[in-house]
Amino acid sequence: MYHTLLNSAVGAETQMLLPTVETMVGVLYFGLFAISFDFISGYTGYLSFGHAVFYGTGAYTVILIANGKMPLLGPGTPFMLSLLVGGLIAVVLAMLVGLVSFRLSGVYFAMITLGFAQVFYVFVRGWDYVATNPRDGPAVGPSHVEGFQIGVPGIDQLSLSIGVLTGDEVALLGSTLSGTEVSYYMIGLVVLACYFAMQRVIHSPFGRVMIAIRENEDRAIAVGYNTYLYKLGAFAISGFFAAVAGGLFAGFKRSASPENSFYFLVTGDALLASIIGGFGTLAGSLYGHLFDETVREFLSKAGQGGGLLPYLRALLGQETLDATLVGDTTIGGLIDLLLNGHASLYVGLVFVLFVLYVPDGLLGTLRTRLGGTFAKALPAKLWGESE
Amino acid sequence: MILEALAEFLTLSELGGVIVSGLAKSALYVMIASGLTLIFGLMGVLNFAHGSLTMVGAYLGGLLMVVTVTGGTAPLTRLGLFFVAIVVVFALLTVLGGAIETTIIRPLYDRPPIYQILLTFGLTLVIEEVVRIVLGIYDLQPLSDWQAALATKPQFLREPVALGPVSAGWMSLFQILLGIVTVVGIWAFLTKTRYGLYIRAGSEDTEMASALGIDVRQVFTVVFALGIGLAGAAGTLLMWDPTWGASVPLAAETLLPAFIVVIVGGLGTFRGTVVAALVVGMADAVTTWWFQNAIQFTGLPELVLFLVLVVTLIVRPQGLFGVEEVGGH
Repeated sequence: MYHTLLNSAVGAETQMLLPTVETMVGVLYFGLFAISFDFISGYTGYLSFGHAVFYGTGAYTVILIANGKMPLLGPGTPFMLSLLVGGLIAVVLAMLVGLVSFRLSGVYFAMITLGFAQVFYVFVRGWDYVATNPRDGPAVGPSHVEGFQIGVPGIDQLSLSIGVLTGDEVALLGSTLSGTEVSYYMIGLVVLACYFAMQRVIHSPFGRVMIAIRENEDRAIAVGYNTYLYKLGAFAISGFFAAVAGGLFAGFKRSASPENSFYFLVTGDALLASIIGGFGTLAGSLYGHLFDETVREFLSKAGQGGGLLPYLRALLGQETLDATLVGDTTIGGLIDLLLNGHASLYVGLVFVLFVLYVPDGLLGTLRTRLGGTFAKALPAKLWGESE
Repeated sequence: MILEALAEFLTLSELGGVIVSGLAKSALYVMIASGLTLIFGLMGVLNFAHGSLTMVGAYLGGLLMVVTVTGGTAPLTRLGLFFVAIVVVFALLTVLGGAIETTIIRPLYDRPPIYQILLTFGLTLVIEEVVRIVLGIYDLQPLSDWQAALATKPQFLREPVALGPVSAGWMSLFQILLGIVTVVGIWAFLTKTRYGLYIRAGSEDTEMASALGIDVRQVFTVVFALGIGLAGAAGTLLMWDPTWGASVPLAAETLLPAFIVVIVGGLGTFRGTVVAALVVGMADAVTTWWFQNAIQFTGLPELVLFLVLVVTLIVRPQGLFGVEEVGGH
C-alpha cells in the first residue's frame, strides 16, 4: 500500500506526508504503552508518572531471556512466553509500588511513582549484569540470531518473525510484504488484542468502579467499595500491558537503553499521546501518538526518510537554497535550522495549544461532538438510525 | 573493607570535607527548589518548566559573563560582574515568568491541577528546543557543558582553602554564602514585607485572602514571576559549577532534585524546603564520598536521593513540614 503510493504520481508528496512503515510499527507498540498509561491515569485519575518502569521491565525481560540471562528460561523461550513473563514481572512490580503509592493521592502519587521509576532507572543504568555497558543498555546477542516470533508458539505455520532485518517476508496476492511490514501487522495483532482486553475491563463492573474513583473517590468508598483494592488491580493490569508494549518494542528493535525505556521522559511521551488523543478515551492515546509521530516526522526528518525538509530541498533546488537572505544566512541554512531535528518544538507548541483549547483531545472532542462513541454515533448520524 | 572505609570516613578531615560539600550542595538545592516551592505553595501549580528555566538562566548568565569578561579581567572584577549577571538574569526571567503566567497559566486555574502539570510540561519541550536552535546558530554543543562560560570563573574559586584540618574548595564556600543569602532574603521577604504577608495569607486560604481585599490574581503573577526569577538566578550560579555547568540536560538534572526537595519538605512550606535541602544535600555528599572511596556503583548518589523521596512519602506522606490538605485533590 505504502509502496504503491510511493511509486504513484504523488510519490514525493506521499513520502513527505506519511510516516515510514518503521515509524508506524513504533506507533503501534508505543501506542499500546500510551493506552496502558491512559488506562490507569485517565480512568482512575491517578497520574502514574513512573509508568516507564513497566515498559522498561517488559523490554529488558525479552532481551535478557533471549540472551540466556534469565534464570530458568533459556534463549529458546518463545517470544510470546517472554512477553507474558515480562507482563507478570510488571504485575508483581506494580503490586509492590502500588501497595505504598496508593496511600497517597494527587500530586504526591505522581511524585512517588516517579521516584520509584527513577530508582529503577538509575539502578538499571548501573547494573552491569544486564549488559556489558549498562548505560547504553542491552542488545539481543548471538544466542538469539533469529527473529522473535509472534503467533502460536511451537507451530511454525501460525507464527511470523518480526524485526527490520530479521522479519519474515510474506508473498501475498502477487506482492511481497517486507519484514517491516509483516512486523507491522503482527505487532498490530497483539496491540489490538491488548486493546480489546483493556476495553473489556473498562466496560465491566470493575471499570465502572475505576471511573467512580476518578469522579468521586469518597463517594465510591461510602457506597461500599474497597477502592484501594480496585486501584491496585487497575494498576497491575495497566502495568501488565505496559510491559507487553515494552516487550514488543524490544522484540522489534532487538535492543533497549535505559533512556528509551526506563527514563521518566518516556512516560512524558505517553502523557503527550494521551492528552492529544483524549484523556480517558483509551483508543485516543494511540491516535494521539500517531499524531505526535506524524508531526515529528513531517517536521524534523533529516536525510532520505521523508518529511518536509528533504521535500523542500528537492523542490527548491540548489540555487534557491544557496540564495542569501540576511548577511550570510542562506535559505537552505534557514530551513535546515528550523526543520532539522527540532520537532519537539512544534510538538510542544501543539501540546500547549491542546491543553489550552482542546482539553478533551482529538477523540474526546469528537465523541462530545457526536454525542457518543465513534462506532455508535457515526452510523446514527449518517443514516439517522436510532436504537 | 567496608569497616576500613567507615574508619576513614569518620576521620575529622574527611568528615569535615563531606559536611562542607554537603552544605554547598544543600545551598544549590535550596536555590533551585525555593522558586518551585513558592509557586506551588501559593498557586498549587507544580511547575514542570522550572528546570528548563533554570537552564535558560544558566545560559543567559553564561552569555553575560562571556561577553563582559576577557582574559585579563581581574578576579574581583569577575566576581562583581557575576553578581551583576545574577541580578540581570533574575530581572529578565522575572519578566518572562510574569508573561508566562498572564498568558498561558491564568486560563487554567479553574481546571483540575493536572492540566497545569501538562501545560508546563509542554512548555519545557518548547523552551528546550528554542535553546537548542539558538545554540545551533552559535555552533555550541547542547549536550556538553559550556566551557567558555566555565572559563570566566576567577582562578581563586578553583583553589582549595584550609579550614583547620578540613580542606574545602572556595567554590563550596561561595555557594554556601549565596545559599544563605537566598534563604535569608526569601525569609525576610515572606515575613517582613506586606507582600510577603499577602503571599502567606494566599497560601493558607486563597478565598479568604481575596475576601479581605487582597488582589490575589496580582499576587499570583508576582509570585510566579519571582519564582521563575529565582530559578534563573540559581541557573547562573550552576553555570560556574563544574559538576553541573550550562547544558541542555541541566533542565532535567535540576528539575528532579528540585522536586525531591520540595516534596520531602512538604509542598508549599518554605521552612520544609530549607530543611529538606539540607537533608538531601547531606545525603548526596555522604553517598558521593562512599561512591568515590568504597562502593563501586555509579548511580549511588542519584539512587539515594530518590530513595529519600520514596521513604519520606511512605513514612510521612505530607512531607516533613507539609500540611495534609495541600497538594491532594
